[in-house]
Amino acid sequence: TGAIGLYNVGQSCCLNSLLQVFLMNIHFTGILRRITVPPRAAQKRRNVPYQMLLLLEEMQCGKQKAVSPIDLACCLSVYRVKLFVQYDAAQLFLTLWNLIKRQMKKPELVEELSCLYTICVQEHLSCQKCSFETKRNSSMLTLPLPVLNSSSHMLKTLEDCLQYFFHPEELTDHNMCFCEQCGKKTPFLQSMKLVRLPQTLTIHLKRFCFEKSAYIHKLSHYLPFPQDLDFNAVLTENQCQADDNEKAAWQYELFAVVAHSGSTSCGHYCAYIRSLTECKWYCFNDSEVCQVSWDDVKCTYGHSNLHWGETAYLLIYMKKRHQ
Amino acid sequence: MAQWQEVQSLANAYLEQVHQLYAGAALPMAVRQCLAAWIEDQNWRQAAEPLSSHARMLFHSLLALLGERLGSPGLGDEDFMLKHNLRKARRDLQAEFEECPEKFANLVANLLQEERRILRLGQAGGQGGAAPAPSAPPGSDREQQIQRRLAEFHAALQEAERTFRHLEDLQDTFDFCFKVHYLPGEDRASDPQYTQQIQALQAKLQILDRQRREVLAQMQQLLGRSETLRDFLQQELGAWQERQQRACLGAPADTRLCLLETWFTELGQGLFQLLQLLRALGDLRQKVTYERDPLKAETPLLEQRLRELLSYLLQRAFVVEQQPSMPNTCKRPLVLRTASKFSARARLLVRLHDRNHRMEAKIHIDRDPPKIKGFRKFNILTSSSKTLLAGDSPQDGLVCDFQYLTLKEQKDSRSGKGSKGAGEGPLVVTEELHLITFTLAYAYCGLELELETSTLPFVIISNNNQFSSAWASILWFNMLSGDPKDQHFFSVPPPAPWPRLAEVLSWQFESVAERGLSKEHLLMLAEKLFGSKPSLESTLAWSKFSKDGASGFSFWAWLDAILGLLQEHLKQLWKDGLILGFVSRKQEKKLLKGKRTGTFLIRFSESILGGVTCTWVEHPESGPPAFRAVVPYTAAELASLALPDIIRDYQLLVEENIPENPLLFLYPDTARDEAFGPYYSHRQEGNLTEQKKYLNQRLIRVSSRQANESWQTEEELVAATENLETLQLQPGGLGTLQPGGLGTQQPGGPSPLPPGSSGTLQPRGPGTLQVMARSPGTLQPGSPAVLQPSSPGMLQVMVTSPGMLQPGPQGLEPPRPLQVGSGVSEMLQSGIGDLEPQLVLQLVPEGQGTLQVGPGGVGTLQVLPGGLGVLQQVGPEDQGTQQAGPGAVEPQLVLQLVPEGQGTLQVGPGGSGTLQVLPGGLGTLQPVAGDTGILQQVGAGDAGLLPLVLETVEPLLVPEGQETLPPELRGLEPLPGSADMRDLLQSLVEELEPGSGMLEGLEPAELMPDALEATDEGLGPELAGSAALLDASDPFLPQPEDAALPAASSLFAAAADFPLLHIDANDFQ
Repeated sequence: TGAIGLYNVGQSCCLNSLLQVFLMNIHFTGILRRITVPPRAAQKRRNVPYQMLLLLEEMQCGKQKAVSPIDLACCLSVYRVKLFVQYDAAQLFLTLWNLIKRQMKKPELVEELSCLYTICVQEHLSCQKCSFETKRNSSMLTLPLPVLNSSSHMLKTLEDCLQYFFHPEELTDHNMCFCEQCGKKTPFLQSMKLVRLPQTLTIHLKRFCFEKSAYIHKLSHYLPFPQDLDFNAVLTENQCQADDNEKAAWQYELFAVVAHSGSTSCGHYCAYIRSLTECKWYCFNDSEVCQVSWDDVKCTYGHSNLHWGETAYLLIYMKKRHQ
Repeated sequence: MAQWQEVQSLANAYLEQVHQLYAGAALPMAVRQCLAAWIEDQNWRQAAEPLSSHARMLFHSLLALLGERLGSPGLGDEDFMLKHNLRKARRDLQAEFEECPEKFANLVANLLQEERRILRLGQAGGQGGAAPAPSAPPGSDREQQIQRRLAEFHAALQEAERTFRHLEDLQDTFDFCFKVHYLPGEDRASDPQYTQQIQALQAKLQILDRQRREVLAQMQQLLGRSETLRDFLQQELGAWQERQQRACLGAPADTRLCLLETWFTELGQGLFQLLQLLRALGDLRQKVTYERDPLKAETPLLEQRLRELLSYLLQRAFVVEQQPSMPNTCKRPLVLRTASKFSARARLLVRLHDRNHRMEAKIHIDRDPPKIKGFRKFNILTSSSKTLLAGDSPQDGLVCDFQYLTLKEQKDSRSGKGSKGAGEGPLVVTEELHLITFTLAYAYCGLELELETSTLPFVIISNNNQFSSAWASILWFNMLSGDPKDQHFFSVPPPAPWPRLAEVLSWQFESVAERGLSKEHLLMLAEKLFGSKPSLESTLAWSKFSKDGASGFSFWAWLDAILGLLQEHLKQLWKDGLILGFVSRKQEKKLLKGKRTGTFLIRFSESILGGVTCTWVEHPESGPPAFRAVVPYTAAELASLALPDIIRDYQLLVEENIPENPLLFLYPDTARDEAFGPYYSHRQEGNLTEQKKYLNQRLIRVSSRQANESWQTEEELVAATENLETLQLQPGGLGTLQPGGLGTQQPGGPSPLPPGSSGTLQPRGPGTLQVMARSPGTLQPGSPAVLQPSSPGMLQVMVTSPGMLQPGPQGLEPPRPLQVGSGVSEMLQSGIGDLEPQLVLQLVPEGQGTLQVGPGGVGTLQVLPGGLGVLQQVGPEDQGTQQAGPGAVEPQLVLQLVPEGQGTLQVGPGGSGTLQVLPGGLGTLQPVAGDTGILQQVGAGDAGLLPLVLETVEPLLVPEGQETLPPELRGLEPLPGSADMRDLLQSLVEELEPGSGMLEGLEPAELMPDALEATDEGLGPELAGSAALLDASDPFLPQPEDAALPAASSLFAAAADFPLLHIDANDFQ
């Protein structure tokens, strides 16, 4: 089978899960295979994309059940991504991606990589008094979706979370901003408009709740996500800032789920990935890989009575091929 | 284990893949075959890892085993070739892999994995290819998925256990080496040998560490998969709970738990096994641990997760298998009556328990009572706890069976009752929902839990008459409540969507009479409920379902009465689809219009509770088709005569015509006897030669009408008695008799009942007027006659006065009539404008009576054996009046003489009479036209309504050729009132007794040769109380929309205790 496990080399389940998500993505490996190999051995050891490529090669050629990502882990530790440390998958994903991007020498690859992963949004701030408006374009690697609304009620579905995320927010009282035109602090309306969605869209469900100061707890409630996601059906016209061509391509299907089990202080990550070549779901638990079904993936929706079970944390959607 | 065996049983296409797999493999299939079990039992994957010494060990074991097999006698000469192949294989393997046993391990691991893949494909393909069993129930797909996943789960668990054992070995080796070689404290850094040993030790530790992580990863994976399984099982359990709820409502649903029990037990077992494995891992850590030991961080995490999963599974697995129900109403569970026994049973689907631990189950009622004012509190009498004994019934599972429970209301239960808030009164009793909670102290494998589960809400009643409305509540709750524990449901009961309600109503019929409601039935009901346009979005409010009703009863009361009727009397007919049942009048006409005359259908009455009627079509020579329906029969009638028999014998009396049965073809066009033949009751075969004490009786139902098509509506019950003792009175009717009421009545002489006396008749609305006169000797003043109206349109006069009118030595001439004044009829009519009173006169044997019916009365004279009756009908209003209003009445007389009976029927002007003489009967019909010599004057409250002598009436003569009438008897002279009855009767006896040819053609069953003995001896004691009375509770409501023929409902029910009719020998002189 095409799915090979990665040995846990020291609380590396989070890294392993993310690596699997990267390496099972043929769009990413297409870029990775074209990197320039560093000339010297020392450079090789310190080059993250190169080590990833090596790992990929090892996974694909060997008839092993699993391979050990120890070299890559060592390489990463150079960049302060240490072993035996618990990571937040969303954060580690960002770190990894930035390392890869930075160490890819060819600009066209960097361009492609950005194009593959980044989301473009336009932030709007408009004064409620004089309708003075400022706009700002920005890029994101993940859509960090809150799973609770402003009144701490649980949102029911992924679509609800998306709608809530793109819902304009009024900035009043002590949140008021200074309006250049009015010359004073006025209430503002803050909104975010979607400009572009990438081929590989990463959604981060903010299941870790920092609400009560230092105490972090995990929200494990039920939050279903669809296999097929059409952003045009989720967002309204004025939540988008894109032409029709772009919007027509906003048809996604689920590619991977990085799931977390356990509590905030102590947990385990695994990845459910749908093989793009075989169209089959696999579950990667470090060195253990097994073929699963959509039913297994659905089990990561969460459960309000089971707090230690697997809950989806990162959702990776893949743009559907244009019909 | 048996992977190789499974592989061999694959279909050819897949076997081919296996052959290909081994064709190029370094491991010959012969070796695989020879050492199948051993090979499958080893952890090759583990061994294949670099730095593993395991591979070498396995490789040499394999070679050794092969050597053993070669030398074993099992491989005899007959397997010479095999022996040769194995020897060669052994040599080849040794040559190829001696240096790199890891490669060999990897090879075997891959081969095994590939085998499994082919196996999966083959098995999946086999399922898809082979035609699935046609009887496979829906959902079996999910069933197979669960079975497959359970199997995979157990296989993975075994794999994990193998890995664990390997880890144990590794750890032991390491531990040993560590203790031997590692000598801290001594500075031996310079010793190269020591350094080497330490390095080797370090390598061993690396392997150990990896193995530990491997086991942990496997367990993570196992837990992940078991979560999916748990999810599946929970879904299945949810589906079962839904089924159970539906089954409670009467739906046909499979509520068996055995499959779920197996699954839950298997998963629970696996998880407990995993828990033990996890603990064993913890023990390993106790022995050897090191910095960054993965066991340290991950085992507690895994254990937390596993415990949570197990607790959740066990919590779910505790279910109420049997909802509380009383034993005799098991089709309607969840309605409990105080002080009546009931039972309930809970089951733990995870059939695992610790034999040394006592598990105690308890039940509580309303543990968290809802805060509803006046909510009654109950105690469970009898013990509320029970110990589950281990090993009690291993195959029956873990069951908490509470039987013989009873409930008692607490004394101060309704404390809030006194302070009823305005508009916020307590719920009615039948809307008060109660819960029983089961708890179970569970302990197994160190896991201790308090499991609990609740029944569905139930209603507690204290009287059976609340049962129907309590059941309505249960229906409503289970149909609509989203929360199975919502005791506040009826504070705001939601309306029911029609499709859902329709389904539930259909189940009611299905559970009572094994046939649900058809689309047409439901359409009719929807139209009834929602008007002419039922839509799928229509909803029905709870109050409209169970409380309000235009006709004085709610929709549910009406439907439940029909259900009761079906259950008691019409089950088989309904089940076999002979009852069309729910047909609107419009629809009924549409259906029957195009059918031939005499086509009929059976439907339920819409206007009375629990009534069933027949409607038939007639096509007159000119004009539109006419639709006739008979007044609905209720349980009271059907109790004495089953519907098929009614249909068989139903007679319509038409003027100038032979009485005929208008019911010829059951809609659409099945001949009556063909449709109902199998349901007719067996007629009793009589024996002519045998001296029988009584004639057999047969009840039939008739209606009559006039030839002029203005429907005369009357139905009569005629009884030829087989056994006079069966002519007993309805007990219900007796309790309300008011004997003293007519004490001042002066029936003596031809004077009518004074109209004023009717004030004491106490007609309670529509009722039957029963007149009973019992007078010894003559009808004396003060002889108690009772008029008791109880049923609309029925006037029943009973004369049990043996001496009266008896022409004998005393020679009372002329017969003194008992007259019923028109005031009585008027009174009846005043209540219901269009009521048509009927008069039934029944003369019991030896009784003689003259009955005069006033205007507006319809009379029937029925003379029982030996009785002699004179019925005098006084002409009422003229025809014109009668036809003008609905209240108009055409008097009808039916005189039926049963064998040995004699009767004189006198029909007044304007009246019409039918004389029907049963075998052996003697009848005279005397039309009285103008000449009132015999006609008694009727005292009328309103003389204007009593015009005498209006028209001559054609008497209806005894029909010629009626098979039941012996020709010999036809010529008999009418017996004048002054004749010697005794002589005549005697002569009849003499004629009848020989049983000669004269009686040929009679139905033997109807002979009652002994009947006359009673005449000679006076009224025998066995005749006491023999009279037919109406059941006072018989609601014959007017049928405006049924436009039916009112049915007589005189029934003979079992009750021999009619005190007024007790006659003893002193009554006779």
